Amino acid sequence: MSRATQTALVRDDRTVYEAVAGSAVGVSGVAFALGLAALLDVVAIDESVAGIELSVAFGVLLLALGTAVVGFGVTSRLAYVDTNPQPSAGIVAAVAFTAVWFAAGAVAAGAWGLGTVGRLGAGAVLGGIGFATTAFPREDIGSTAPAGAIAGLFGLLLGGGVVGPGWEQVLTGYNATLFGDTVVPVVVLFASLVTGWSAAKAYGGFGARGRNVGAYVLIYLVVGSILTVLVGLVAFVTVKGLPGLFNGFDVGGAGLVRWPFLTNGAGLLADIAGVFPALMGTIWLVVGAVLFAVPTGVGAAVFLSEYAEQGRFTGAVEVATNGLWSTPSIVFGLFGAAFLIPRFGNQKSLIAGMLTLGFMLLPLVLITSREAILAVPDDYRDASAALGVSKWQTIRSVVLPAAIPGVTTGVILGVGRIAGETAPILLTMGGGVLPARSAAPDVLGGFRLSASPPFVSNPALLEATSALPYQLYALITAGLSGNIRNPQEYAWGLALTLLLVVLVFYAIGIATRYYFRRKLHQ
Amino acid sequence: MSQTDTAETTANRTDGQGASTTAGETVETTRPEWTNYETGGETKLAVEDLDVHYGDDHALKGVSMDIPERSVTALIGPSGCGKSTFLRCLNRMNDRIRAATVDGTVDLDGEDIYQDGVDLVELRKRVGMVFQSPNPFPKSIRENVSYGPRKHGDIETGLLARLTGRAEPDREETLVERSLERAALWDEVDDRLDDNALGLSGGQQQRLCIARCLAVDPEVILMDEPASALDPIATSKIEDLIEDLAQDYTVVVVTHSMQQAARVSDQTAVFLTGGELVEYDDTEKIFESPESQRVEDYISGKFG
Repeated sequence: MSRATQTALVRDDRTVYEAVAGSAVGVSGVAFALGLAALLDVVAIDESVAGIELSVAFGVLLLALGTAVVGFGVTSRLAYVDTNPQPSAGIVAAVAFTAVWFAAGAVAAGAWGLGTVGRLGAGAVLGGIGFATTAFPREDIGSTAPAGAIAGLFGLLLGGGVVGPGWEQVLTGYNATLFGDTVVPVVVLFASLVTGWSAAKAYGGFGARGRNVGAYVLIYLVVGSILTVLVGLVAFVTVKGLPGLFNGFDVGGAGLVRWPFLTNGAGLLADIAGVFPALMGTIWLVVGAVLFAVPTGVGAAVFLSEYAEQGRFTGAVEVATNGLWSTPSIVFGLFGAAFLIPRFGNQKSLIAGMLTLGFMLLPLVLITSREAILAVPDDYRDASAALGVSKWQTIRSVVLPAAIPGVTTGVILGVGRIAGETAPILLTMGGGVLPARSAAPDVLGGFRLSASPPFVSNPALLEATSALPYQLYALITAGLSGNIRNPQEYAWGLALTLLLVVLVFYAIGIATRYYFRRKLHQ
Repeated sequence: MSQTDTAETTANRTDGQGASTTAGETVETTRPEWTNYETGGETKLAVEDLDVHYGDDHALKGVSMDIPERSVTALIGPSGCGKSTFLRCLNRMNDRIRAATVDGTVDLDGEDIYQDGVDLVELRKRVGMVFQSPNPFPKSIRENVSYGPRKHGDIETGLLARLTGRAEPDREETLVERSLERAALWDEVDDRLDDNALGLSGGQQQRLCIARCLAVDPEVILMDEPASALDPIATSKIEDLIEDLAQDYTVVVVTHSMQQAARVSDQTAVFLTGGELVEYDDTEKIFESPESQRVEDYISGKFG
């Protein structure tokens, strides 16, 4: 011990007990990560690790962790180490372990071929034991024994080869089969979560500090798995999509970039099929929807929060907007098809799609702008009014600038949703499944002046146009290949392009928000 | 604390001291002559029978007082006595509270500001206000100061003004410098006028708010506890500034601190619980020999 006296307030030496419990937490974390990797097919459970099958190794690991966890509890209960357990592990742990052990009992009875009554009976017996061991003993036994036992049980099943790579179970009544390579990782994930929590409690010496550490470990493992799934998803699409995206890509002399996938159409004359028309369609679609929805939404938000008397009317508008935001997109699509298309040349068109998606975006812009405007401190409004500045000028030069970051957040979220919408585009915008380059919308160059009303026309807005999600959907359902040599590669490239387009819109939005935040606070 | 509580406490204390109240009588009655103060200078603001209701709450009861030009008038009293309400009546900031109704007249240079057809923009340009907590806009220091004149169209800035040759950067510079100097802030910020005002310290922010108010060239400056959110050093700077401003402006300042009122003001009005103006006189008279027993108790710290 580094000091002569050890006080209750200051603990500066690390006991062997803590060190062992800490490493058990670490091992649980590693098991959890490996389980996740196995679930995502990064490693196969029949791979051999140091001469033994991975699933058997998992079993040994879980058995060891289970034994260790029970050992922590017993050591603490027999007062070999200094801990501060509470009288009981608590109601949440009791209920959780009852459920776990009930399920274990019922499944085991089922495996032995018992009927419903037998399963319920076995479940009730084991659930009761689980409850009793969690609820009645002191916390150090209550939160380790049931946890260690379940991990040990799973360890025996995996280690003994009862459940392994070749294992499968037909689920009668579900028309489905469970395979070992899904069940083993799930079992490992669950058991390592439980042992991690339990070992963390032991590391913290149980009691308030132990619960704190336990919760910390649980939260970190869960957050870690969410992040893994997210990253895995993006990585999966990226890996699958890269060959298609960079098909024929090269940087020639003088910095000339050739990127046929992004600049070609999918027409018969294209040497390498590309997504240019659909890409332009999606970009214009989002731009059009934002141009329509942001001024309208922000204007409505200004009216509702600055001018309208707060009361039944604003309440009703609020309910209606929230309802609109959760309205299924196909309903918006139907509205666009039935209401907008007859008014824009009776055919599917880019502008009908823009407006439909604009209607979809509108409620979110309204809701977030309203919140952002309400969050602007009244101090600013008072200060401005006291300088004799009129209400509208105050809104324009103080309130709205202060609300821009919030409004931008709303637009970012909304763009993420509408850029990937397929149903409304299917009904309002159409376009070819494999459009040639010439089918790309040329909105800027499409404006034509004419001598008679409406004096300005833009055929590009009135033509059926393709968009990335729609083209992807059409490719998958219709299975057309046309001029495309490798439809699989093309479709994945398309998916990656859509992902990138959404990410680019996100990046623009986040940069805008960052710029205005800096301006407001620096 | 509700008003009845305070009234009872007052009654108990008064009884305890053996003041000239008979049993059953709760508080002394305010005599009109206590507030009938003849101001030395020209009257800038004349308030007559001002009543304010917030819904059912009678916040200000028949207040009449004349505020002289180019001087500091302090309004003191316990929390909830209506002194801030009174202040906010002087530039009609109470109009911004829906539930508030104001009766009576407030004459600014002989013209009633509560009559029909009063231009609030013009009124608030002439009667400026500084708030309790510093509230600069989240803009640069320069933009904060020139905000009022810009919005009133007195100074043209921005892209269109530059394109059409109407931009007056020099005039803006002069105005910003003059206002900041007048608010005793120029020396501290002259090298960072384009920084965000929220980066200033609390005391600097409050002086910036005063500069922002001065930039629209008001005649009257209302201050609602301008130093209550500041540390002692920043407070003393603000107090020096108030005294200094009184040479050119009519300053009305609400304060919680009696020391502050005694230090900076020429005349003091004491509001007591119930929205009543109890005594209004020269500051020296109020703090040395007030007529009202309740005012004396309040000033000597026995109440409120």
